[in-house]
Amino acid sequence: MELSDVKTILATDCGSTTTKAILIKKEGDEYRLQVRGEAPTTVEKPAEDVTRGVLNAVGEVEELTGRKLIADHKVLVAEGKDEGVDIYMSTSSAGGGLQMMVAGVVKTMTAESAQRAALGAGAIVMDVLASNDGRLPHQKIEAIRRLRPDMILLSGGIDGGTISHVVELAELIGAADPRPRFGAGFQLPVIYAGNKVARPIIEGTLGEKTSLYVVDNIRPVLERENLGPARNEIHNLFMEHVMAQAPGYSKLMSWTAVPIMPTPAAVGAIIQTIAEREGFEVIGVDIGGATTDIFSVFQKVFNRTVSANLGMSYSISNVLAEAGLPDIIRWVPFPKSQLDERDLRDRIRNKMIRPTTIPQTLTELVIEQAIAREALRLAFVQHKELAVGLKGIQQERTISDAFTQTMTGETLVNMLTLDMLVGSGGTLSHAPRRVQAALMLIDGFRPEAVTFLAVDSIFMMPQLGVLSTVMPDAATQVFERDCLVRLGSCVAPVGNGKKGQTCLKITADWPGRGHVEEEVKYGEMARLPLAVDERVKARLDPVRPFDLGHGKGQTLEAELEGGVAGVIFDCRGRPLNLPQDETARVDALQRWLAALDVYPNHGSSEAA
Amino acid sequence: MKRLSLAFATLLLWGAAACAAAEEAAPAVTARDAPNDAGGAVNVAWEPAAAEKEAAFTGYEVQRRASGEKEFVKVDRTAPGELAFRDEEAEDGVEYEYRVQALAAGEKAVVLGTASAKASGQWFNTARTNALIGVIFVTAVIVFFIYRAKGGAELFVRKIAGLEAVDEAIGRATEMGKPILYVTGLGDASDIATIAAMTILAKVARKTAEYETPLIVPCYDPIVMIVEKEMVKQAYTEAGKPDAFDEDSVFFVTQSQFGYVAAVDGIMLREKPATNFYMGAFYAESLILAETGAETGAIQIAGTDRVTQLPFFITACDYTLMGEELYAATAYLGRDPLFLGSLKGQDWAKGVIMAFLILGTILLIFSTDLGLRFAKLFETAG
Repeated sequence: MELSDVKTILATDCGSTTTKAILIKKEGDEYRLQVRGEAPTTVEKPAEDVTRGVLNAVGEVEELTGRKLIADHKVLVAEGKDEGVDIYMSTSSAGGGLQMMVAGVVKTMTAESAQRAALGAGAIVMDVLASNDGRLPHQKIEAIRRLRPDMILLSGGIDGGTISHVVELAELIGAADPRPRFGAGFQLPVIYAGNKVARPIIEGTLGEKTSLYVVDNIRPVLERENLGPARNEIHNLFMEHVMAQAPGYSKLMSWTAVPIMPTPAAVGAIIQTIAEREGFEVIGVDIGGATTDIFSVFQKVFNRTVSANLGMSYSISNVLAEAGLPDIIRWVPFPKSQLDERDLRDRIRNKMIRPTTIPQTLTELVIEQAIAREALRLAFVQHKELAVGLKGIQQERTISDAFTQTMTGETLVNMLTLDMLVGSGGTLSHAPRRVQAALMLIDGFRPEAVTFLAVDSIFMMPQLGVLSTVMPDAATQVFERDCLVRLGSCVAPVGNGKKGQTCLKITADWPGRGHVEEEVKYGEMARLPLAVDERVKARLDPVRPFDLGHGKGQTLEAELEGGVAGVIFDCRGRPLNLPQDETARVDALQRWLAALDVYPNHGSSEAA
Repeated sequence: MKRLSLAFATLLLWGAAACAAAEEAAPAVTARDAPNDAGGAVNVAWEPAAAEKEAAFTGYEVQRRASGEKEFVKVDRTAPGELAFRDEEAEDGVEYEYRVQALAAGEKAVVLGTASAKASGQWFNTARTNALIGVIFVTAVIVFFIYRAKGGAELFVRKIAGLEAVDEAIGRATEMGKPILYVTGLGDASDIATIAAMTILAKVARKTAEYETPLIVPCYDPIVMIVEKEMVKQAYTEAGKPDAFDEDSVFFVTQSQFGYVAAVDGIMLREKPATNFYMGAFYAESLILAETGAETGAIQIAGTDRVTQLPFFITACDYTLMGEELYAATAYLGRDPLFLGSLKGQDWAKGVIMAFLILGTILLIFSTDLGLRFAKLFETAG
């Protein structure tokens, strides 16, 4: 069947706890989401068969649509008929997803490239081994044995470069004699993507002890990264070694028309597709219970990071430990006297041991969202550190560079050029008011100039990601029309000024308000309602020293897009500095919350 | 009452006598030890002679005799109106008597008077009190910052790209399996730029030892070579890899400027080092070295205090340490509180000096008199 003839698509995402199924149908020329179903994932005991959960989720879709989707205990793929679907595909992060170790010669060069390759392929990188990581050989061997990754990616040396260093790393892996997580009788898959001159020695060192796969060097020269072959091999091995060993996956693999993708790789795929098609610079975040994934496309370069210790349930105590209580409390709009520090710590720990609980009072919600802000901020800091240009490359200089000698390896993330910020995960997608999600994104990421904010409505980005690998048009249509909940544009001038000074002047013909000329003072926020799909051409005049990307005090003519949260004008300045004085801080937070109508009673501590 | 009148009268008499003595004692010639000097000088001055305005008047003659000598000896002759003489041939501790005579054509010389003085050195030059204050200020600032650094305070030092890139440059050589070339220029061991280059070499050598990457150090000066060999050996020992140190990695080439350049260029072309460091004193060879290195595809980090060579390095190298950045490298790379505190203290002192310069310029623009008075505060002559 030609892909252009596909009318019904079923896609599932097997998460650690829940399996989600979506049914997409072609209506006229457009693909639209029809219905969604979910059921608990059944990869662990007692069922130990992932397909049970899949069938349960699909069964829910079947009930909701009345269309027969299951036959003989399997998904019914009946091309072009009135029952079943034309194509079925799936992603998976069940059983902890794909867990990898990577190794390279220099931590900031080939080891970092290996890390990017693994993260981009949807893996969680458990450890990065490098010749210069400061650990002694026995410590590295101990780490490999203790962590038991699903596979190891070994890189190092450019083609024709160092041999001794990369062979030394291979010897360490060989000495550790690692065993994979799944399949006791199998050898651990090792992908060698390093110096091609060293291949025979690597084969001699690891060929018998591991299941060795050799691909093209990820850094054939230091000036270029070649991550594709390594990523493809990771996907293949994920299917062959990891998925094939996990309970029920062999059966599931036989049902799908395209290879099962790791969930994060699928999310990355849809983000990349959108960025490519729209010419956007985009950041996507998925704040989960255990981890926070950030995806970005800047200067057409895709990057993904996983902050494996930052999450809103299992990892919530790590957020507290990393950010510290004062940094969390600074987002809470009540005086410290109304907060019992011990009680707050207990609440956070309770969330960790009871991860499925949700806030019952407004206070709890405010605290959870304060923690989410810090988790997002910390994860973004980690992302910026990895989303960097290549290090160690030769530069060309002119005399004008005398006082501005830029370094290689600068972060690619530029908030001024960011077009779209997409949030996902329960805390963002299921916030009681959409404007709360918008404010969490703003406080966590601190977008600059004009940025469009959105959240994933029902977390269907993984399914759309795997769909985008074969039907990018269909994936994009559903992403834009059904996946995204459009929150609206955020306008945030860069710079800091004096309290009370005018920061931004807005001039526009605003739907329902006529000609609008508004001023927003420094240190304040404002919101103007603008419905979804409505657009306004506005003249934005930042007052010196503020900047909207065209220079201090320079006008920006921008098209602002509406959403459920309207258009938010954030004139708190960049970098964002909260008042140090507690009374001033609480007062400022309450003003901002009131301006955006974030919480009922403007964030008072009264229970909702 | 009678007693009071008597006292008053006594006071008046004493006052009158004192005034008379002063009038009598007002000497026509004075001789004094020259102040604020190291000794060996006497200043002689005199009042103008009555005949000075006459046409026949030709000038003054200064004569001198040491104590115990009978005859005066001429030591100088001055023009009319020139009423002072500095005798810089006096011996410390010897009493000299000076006699000044007014000379007129066709007339006998008239003795204006005589005066005696001994030359001696002074312990403290009061004319340089401002310099003392400056030194105390700078020292205090440096000591303050050293103590702050030792106390664990985070002293901000702006990012120096050339030094930040050291790790990256060594990493590149490691990945490429190529050596690192370190050139310390043509300075000798007493040249401050060479000393700075050697301290950076120690840091680089430690890194190359950790990364197990070969290091090549061709030397222009044999004494510099000996020092550098010891420094590199020490760095390898500190890194826990003394056996990785190669005695032949630091070697003497030649003291012929262009012979040295030819040899280093040859090394670049044969060994193809992945990273070249040029730190120290460089002259005409700077561009030849840097261009050859760039052609071989190496990352190059240069640092020199020779202003005339900086443009060549800036355009041909990836990173360049300019002037004092080279001296700051030790503190920057090592983060030793002593060096870091000194660096910070010196920066502050320079900041204050710059502020005074700006203030002086502004004062001069608005009021020449005020500006000159302000400038006098910083004069140290005398």
